[in-house]
Amino acid sequence: MLYLLRRVVVLLTTLLLVSFLVFMLPYLTPGDPARKILRARTGDLDLDPETVERLRIEYGLDLPIMQQYWNWLKDALGGDIGISYTSGRPVAGMLGSALANTATLAISALLFALVVALILGTIAAVKRGKPADSVITTITQGFVAIPEYWMGPLLVLVFALNMGVLPSAGWKGPLWMILPCLTLALRPMSYFTQVTRASMVDVLESPHITAARSRGLSFGETMLKHGVRNALLPVVTLFSVWLAGLLGGSVVVEVIFAIPGMGRMLYQAITNGDVPIIQASVVCVVGLTVIITTATDALYRLINPTVRTSHGTR
Amino acid sequence: MALVDNPASEALDGTARVIPMRGSAAVRGWEHLRTWPTSLRVGVALFLTIAVLLVLTPWIAPYDPAAQDLENRLAAGSPAHLLGTDHLGRDVLSRLLWGGRYSVSIAAVTLVLCSVFGTVLGLLCARIGGAFDELVMRLTDVALAFPEMVIAMFLVAILGPSYGTLILALVLTGWTPFARLARGLALEINSRDFVEAAEALGMSRRFIVFRHLLPNALSPLLAHAALRFGHKLIAVGALSYLGLGVQPPDSDWGSMLADGQPYMTRLAGLVVYPGLAIFITALAVTLIGQGINTRRNRQG
Repeated sequence: MLYLLRRVVVLLTTLLLVSFLVFMLPYLTPGDPARKILRARTGDLDLDPETVERLRIEYGLDLPIMQQYWNWLKDALGGDIGISYTSGRPVAGMLGSALANTATLAISALLFALVVALILGTIAAVKRGKPADSVITTITQGFVAIPEYWMGPLLVLVFALNMGVLPSAGWKGPLWMILPCLTLALRPMSYFTQVTRASMVDVLESPHITAARSRGLSFGETMLKHGVRNALLPVVTLFSVWLAGLLGGSVVVEVIFAIPGMGRMLYQAITNGDVPIIQASVVCVVGLTVIITTATDALYRLINPTVRTSHGTR
Repeated sequence: MALVDNPASEALDGTARVIPMRGSAAVRGWEHLRTWPTSLRVGVALFLTIAVLLVLTPWIAPYDPAAQDLENRLAAGSPAHLLGTDHLGRDVLSRLLWGGRYSVSIAAVTLVLCSVFGTVLGLLCARIGGAFDELVMRLTDVALAFPEMVIAMFLVAILGPSYGTLILALVLTGWTPFARLARGLALEINSRDFVEAAEALGMSRRFIVFRHLLPNALSPLLAHAALRFGHKLIAVGALSYLGLGVQPPDSDWGSMLADGQPYMTRLAGLVVYPGLAIFITALAVTLIGQGINTRRNRQG
């Protein structure tokens, strides 16, 4: 309970810290902060100096900085984050669809990675020390060293440009998801496989497997009923860690395949200097990451009482 | 033969390997090398080759990496240009070598900063304990929650793209694993019998730190550093690929890949080679990291 409380304190501190940094963005970048903030609030591009003066007081930009932060935070929590410089639309509305696209991409890539990893990891564990194990272990460890910005263009070159069987970019349907998912799944897949193999090896050596086999259960039945289930826990934890990571980490893949997700939105906002979008997407991604990791941790402790120690493992 | 040693098979061939202490230094060195796991040997050989090539680049690169030859653009590999030329007619091999100097050195600087900063903080945590320990560990929780790419992009938005920004961003998100590992190792080693024995014998704190703590913590820390190096290399390349890292006129493997991508249907090498360079380098250090771990497990 104390542990959970601490995690929640960390979560809130992180969010406060990040939101303050993000709030300060117009002040930290070159240019007149008042103009940048007013542009984000009103969507007006060219304000004459008089209007700027009038609006400065109207929007409270003459208040002390902490007071301004408080007002900004209240607005943001109420869903009013400002108006995008480039599209002229409220940022809050743009966030939703971007987030949905990124989540779809990340979850489908991770599910694919998980299924492949469970199969490969189990085979490697069962055939431990045999050629099949060496091949799987070597290949998956090699995959860790493959950058997405290499695999992505190569897949596009082969399957879209040369063979013409899959679309090279865009986000219009399941067919458009195949290449980005493959690209994104590669690295998590190799980590998942390694973890599955390791925990499967442990499970296979445990007495209850021997007991199940000696009770006359077939090998396949034993694996399904006693093996996979026990080996799954560490992999599931890793799954959510990766999910949190990919919310912000799929930038490269989203840019390569022109997917309108969070990462690409943030990337474009940074190249265009679109302050309100940068603010919203950074807070959103960091917030979600912290919430997911904290929730996973809490859940893991709930399921597995052996890690419920206050010290030593943290 | 698998590149990666299988931890399972090691238990069979036993843990005790006696190194005969006779013959010349070279022979002893060779005997010692033979006890290295395959992954370590392959990784070290690969990495040394890459390092030597990159160090010798100013002398061995066949062309000036910025020299353009517009008559001869997007040429396939030939004796004159072994790996061909890019969209401005620049020699791909020379650019790969020069680009590698940026990629590898930035990743290395980042890694050294991360590991030194993280390790020192972690050791201090274990040594001082109490409120300081609590504060730093909570700080690692906060830093761990920051998605690396997002923080890097945010910093670029504030500070503008530069080498400093690139390194700062990666250090800011990368020191935490080292701090946790170092802290855990120090606590674990401190509780071992030989440290207790040394303390009982009245050995000085410094003796214990340098004789027991560091030697025992070194190999896991090194292994971890090697495993993180590949990650850093890929992250540096990712930022450069997005145009937020190494800025023109300089270019590294990531920016070469981005430059070549529009022309990949005409000359696939423009995308294949820079990616392959990152892959091989990252693989080499990963093998080293795994090799050190395997060796440590073997020795028990």
